[in-house]
Amino acid sequence: MRQSVSGNPPAGALYFAGIDIGSTMTKVVLTDEHSNLLAVVKGPTGPEHRRLANEVMRQALEHAGLSIGDISYIVATGYGRLNVPFADRQITELSCHARGVSSLFPKVRTAIDIGGQDAKCMRIANGRLVDFVMNDRCAAGTGRFLEVTAATLGIKLEDMGAMSLRATRRIKISSMCTIFAQQEVVALLSQGEQPENVLAGLHDALASRVAALARRLGIEPDVVLTGGVAKNIGMVKAMRQSLGVEVLVPEEPLITGALGAAILAKEAYARAAAAGETLPAKSRRLEEATFFSQEQP
Amino acid sequence: MTDRSTGLARVGEIYSNRSQRARELKAQGKKIIGYPCVYVPLEMLTALGLVPYQTCGDMKEPVTEADRALPGSFCPVMRSCLDCALKNKNNFLDGMVTIHSCDPQEKTCRVWESYTNYPYFHFIDMPISVRPEALEYFRNQLGDLKKTLEAFTGKKLSVDALEAAIKSHNRQRTLVKELYELTKPSPPRISGTEMVQVLKALVSLPVEEGNDLLTECISEVKNRTAGPQKKAARLLIWSSTLDDTDVVQVLEDKANVVMNESCGGIRAYRAAVKFTSDPLKSLADYYLNEITCARTFRQATLGETKKDYARDLQSRFGYLKGVVKQWNINGAILLLVRYCDPFAFEMPSLRDYFESLGVPSTYIEYNYTVGALAPLRTRVEAFLETIG
Repeated sequence: MRQSVSGNPPAGALYFAGIDIGSTMTKVVLTDEHSNLLAVVKGPTGPEHRRLANEVMRQALEHAGLSIGDISYIVATGYGRLNVPFADRQITELSCHARGVSSLFPKVRTAIDIGGQDAKCMRIANGRLVDFVMNDRCAAGTGRFLEVTAATLGIKLEDMGAMSLRATRRIKISSMCTIFAQQEVVALLSQGEQPENVLAGLHDALASRVAALARRLGIEPDVVLTGGVAKNIGMVKAMRQSLGVEVLVPEEPLITGALGAAILAKEAYARAAAAGETLPAKSRRLEEATFFSQEQP
Repeated sequence: MTDRSTGLARVGEIYSNRSQRARELKAQGKKIIGYPCVYVPLEMLTALGLVPYQTCGDMKEPVTEADRALPGSFCPVMRSCLDCALKNKNNFLDGMVTIHSCDPQEKTCRVWESYTNYPYFHFIDMPISVRPEALEYFRNQLGDLKKTLEAFTGKKLSVDALEAAIKSHNRQRTLVKELYELTKPSPPRISGTEMVQVLKALVSLPVEEGNDLLTECISEVKNRTAGPQKKAARLLIWSSTLDDTDVVQVLEDKANVVMNESCGGIRAYRAAVKFTSDPLKSLADYYLNEITCARTFRQATLGETKKDYARDLQSRFGYLKGVVKQWNINGAILLLVRYCDPFAFEMPSLRDYFESLGVPSTYIEYNYTVGALAPLRTRVEAFLETIG
């Protein structure tokens, strides 16, 4: 679906953007009026949300051959959504994920997103969010749990899932607190347990924690898993086992929030146009939105 | 007192400096008695010329001192209350009346007593059931409170004085409800944030001063032209304690909070004490039966062979039905302060009850710190997006 736009965009064409500032990664999706993806850019969030929001947006625009003034409507989401000065509207990541996931999987009823600092379970009906539960009481049940473990074991985060699949037996990790679980991991390794087996146990522990959260909502297929953790094949397998149902994963599980934001931007624009409301001015200037600037351009 | 500000301006001053009036009264020779919870019968203190002062927690103050005595995974409200006490923020108190409204409070109050040195300290053993035997027991507990208060003040608690105090406190309940009438219009005439400030001012003042302040506020709000703007939803918040404006502002950013069903809201003011020949029994009946905190067991079908969930829900949450209708509520937020077990266990049934009333609801848990309100904002906004 990705296409490159070169030269000036055709007159009258409409473009939409979704920007998702998560705790770990910032994602931007640019689409045309048919929700075809024109650009997808990801970058680490870092400490300065505003500066990075500008930078990833600039990269996305460059890739699509557009300027900020060509974008008809921009929706910001994620926990840094309030720090996007050039956005027309902020919508929570829950609604955006629900919309993004259901555009990719029209039959989805349950979406689970495991990000860097929280896990979200969403009930979806007719493409919309209808109910949700979130965990962010601590690092347990989030991507951070795996990050900390990877650091403890001195292995790469992206290798963990595949390693866990090579387990010869599944260890039970009884502590759900991230710190206590690390202590348990260290103790197991010192007893000579294979790292692969320990990793399998950790994936099971994380999956059972998220599955318990999802059961509070009720699990109805189709179930879709998104977020950075969905890139981990070991987690996808562990989630399938914990939930007892098939778990679908989008090709690019990091961008469903930004994609949903772009689709909601298009819908908000269409609603405003139909109602004859004032549409966002196209004169927004990306460059002036600095980290320290409080004014809305 | 002649050149003081009035109405909501005065409320704002008291909210940002709660203990100021208590300290003034103390300097004038009054005795100030702290209490941690709305279950303490303030009428008995007022009747003896004592000034009741609610010892609230402070969400803006990181808990440090209370760590000496209470574990981290413990009611953060009680941790914060004790922390303030251990930091000498309540050093004007002459005593405390504490009560077994929930286990964390009972345990905390024992620690409180042993770590502080107030001239007076009393604990009321409050039963958890609304059955007749419980009422009798609670009435006798109030008899014990009378005994120790009389010994502390050197005065007799007369029936006349107690009835006069009940009248003053009942008047306060009526005035609070009158103020809540002003959240019925759309947009409401007074915001949920302002309401929290008013109610927090009341628990910082002697009852008659509170009544005067309420009268001023009612007149001011009725006559002002500026007021809250109409927002996307009219919310009811159900919680244990909701008495900090920072939290309410997060809730009110994109909605109108028109009903605060918490101990920082209408809970202590909904009903009134009914007069009987025994004022202590009247008080026992009011505090045990009329204040609808989750700590009290109200199952309608107790002892019956046939279970009836709908009737049970009605006996536990029936008071909300009229509120939903009269205040035109279109969303309910069940807001749990972390680790509050009595309220947590009510949430699934309460969501069922709201569903039976056709009101969408959500259950949100939050940390009792103002530094950690971002997740609360996301959940509230997501909920508003589902009902919008």
